[in-house]
Amino acid sequence: MVTVKIPGPLRKLTGGKDLIQLEGVVTVKDALEKLIETYPELEDRLKDERGLLREFINIFVNNEDIRFLNELDTELKDQDHIILVPAIAGGQGKRRVKLYFPPDKVKEPVIYNLGHMFKIVTNIRKANVDEDFGWVSLEVEGSDEEFSKAIEYLKKLGIRVEPIEGDILI
Amino acid sequence: MYIIQGLQCRNCGRSYTLSPTHICEFCFGGLDVVYDYSKVGHTFTLKALENRPYNIWRYKELLPIEKEPVCGFNVGFTPLLRARRLERLLGIKEIYIKNDAVNHPTLSFKDRVVAVAISKAVEFGYDVISCASTGNLANSVAALAASCGLKSYVFIPWDLEAGKVLGTLIYGAHLIRVKGTYDDVNRLCSEIAENFEWAFVNINIRPFYAEGSKTFGFEIAEQMNFKLPKHIVVPMGGGSLITKIWKAFKELQTLGFIDAIETKMHGAQAEGANPIVSAYKQGRKTIKPVKPNTIAKSLAIGNPADGAYALQTIRESGGTAEDVTDDEILEGIKMLAREEGIFTETAGGVTVAVTRKLKEQGVIGEDDSVVIAITGNGLKTQEVVRNNMGEPTVIEPNLKDFEKIYCTVI
Repeated sequence: MVTVKIPGPLRKLTGGKDLIQLEGVVTVKDALEKLIETYPELEDRLKDERGLLREFINIFVNNEDIRFLNELDTELKDQDHIILVPAIAGGQGKRRVKLYFPPDKVKEPVIYNLGHMFKIVTNIRKANVDEDFGWVSLEVEGSDEEFSKAIEYLKKLGIRVEPIEGDILI
Repeated sequence: MYIIQGLQCRNCGRSYTLSPTHICEFCFGGLDVVYDYSKVGHTFTLKALENRPYNIWRYKELLPIEKEPVCGFNVGFTPLLRARRLERLLGIKEIYIKNDAVNHPTLSFKDRVVAVAISKAVEFGYDVISCASTGNLANSVAALAASCGLKSYVFIPWDLEAGKVLGTLIYGAHLIRVKGTYDDVNRLCSEIAENFEWAFVNINIRPFYAEGSKTFGFEIAEQMNFKLPKHIVVPMGGGSLITKIWKAFKELQTLGFIDAIETKMHGAQAEGANPIVSAYKQGRKTIKPVKPNTIAKSLAIGNPADGAYALQTIRESGGTAEDVTDDEILEGIKMLAREEGIFTETAGGVTVAVTRKLKEQGVIGEDDSVVIAITGNGLKTQEVVRNNMGEPTVIEPNLKDFEKIYCTVI
């Protein structure tokens, strides 16, 4: 049997319980699945749209961060103590950037390429493209890594990329 | 004041009312304070600044306080000084030291954030102030809580420097040494915070606390007549300071105090605790935690709370992230002391050493201007340099003895 400690913000979904005991779980992943099975409302709080563990949750087994162990495949033994700790950091799901195209790039299908070369979804929110100059306000969704690669690619092409601030999307 | 609109998740954008909370209930992203800048401009003008006292509260419209602050009336407006000898040594045209080693009252930049956090905590009705700390924050929480007649509970890692331990106890704080690293302390405190009705400045008060760091940026801008330097080198522990200096510049730009921001924000870490630098160098956007092992204990954080946001700031500004070894840190401390007469703690050794490294790499050019952030005082971390300094020469109290050693030893 292992114990899972539920953080404050999630306790309303576990009927106020902060310690949940689980039987017959072999890995951290099993434990999370079993937890969700018992309290189905936890599912979309622990997992994102793709079914992956939300990146802002840190999991500790007997006070050790599972990123130093075997991540979600970390094996559990009897009496193990799991703690879910909401991190206070993380990347961003959707971002908005403004791209400025120099004359020689205006006619290239740059945004089409972005979606094909990198695992990101682009969405044009505003744009103004002339014969010899143009800008596009772009919403980008994807992992941090793919987003960085895409930005690198744009910069290499000579396109100026500026983040748009204070324009948070829900 | 009516300027603060509320809190907003930095990840999913959900809005929250002003309350002592730091994470989004839905996705667990960090919360940030949102201001209505159109209203800030009504009272926050160059003219108004002329008549305000030189402390952090001169920027009060851009700090998350609604009532009158309860402490911090001597915090901030530390010297920004031209480092001409360091310029010659490193071959850089303009170097400025922003010297929070002499911040009031506990000699580190943490007095800025704590003054804001405690003022906010009192607004929320708390009477116990607490924190997880690598030392400087501990000193500041203990001192400023004492000055407001509030109780404090301070949690520190096992191996902290003696100066920082004593510098907390002296103020009557309840000091708890946790058998573990800062990351262990931090995790423990986030559990304690759920069970005790305390104001943990860097947990449930974090969104407000962190805003205090913006004053470091406001002051640099104001002291340079709102003409920003080309580079700023900032130490990174939890990663919050660098993001808040950047936010400060953005706000000043929004308000029309600054035209264009061309400053590159460079993040500096010790090689033995470099999760943000390695994420930067490997092109990652997320942080992989490390087990810290460095003499720079104030930066010995393996799982930085604002690491991902620090990365974002660095990339957005076109800056870099670099780390230095413990030996280079000691060199940096000595260099600043011997060239400029400033005794900084290990974190300052990190920023000086990283500045030198960035010059050698050509990231900082010889005609550039640089501000080096010095965030803490060397008197608190004496043990790291003690073995490095040699011993004073001992003589009998007579002239002959002195003349003898003057000819030989010295």
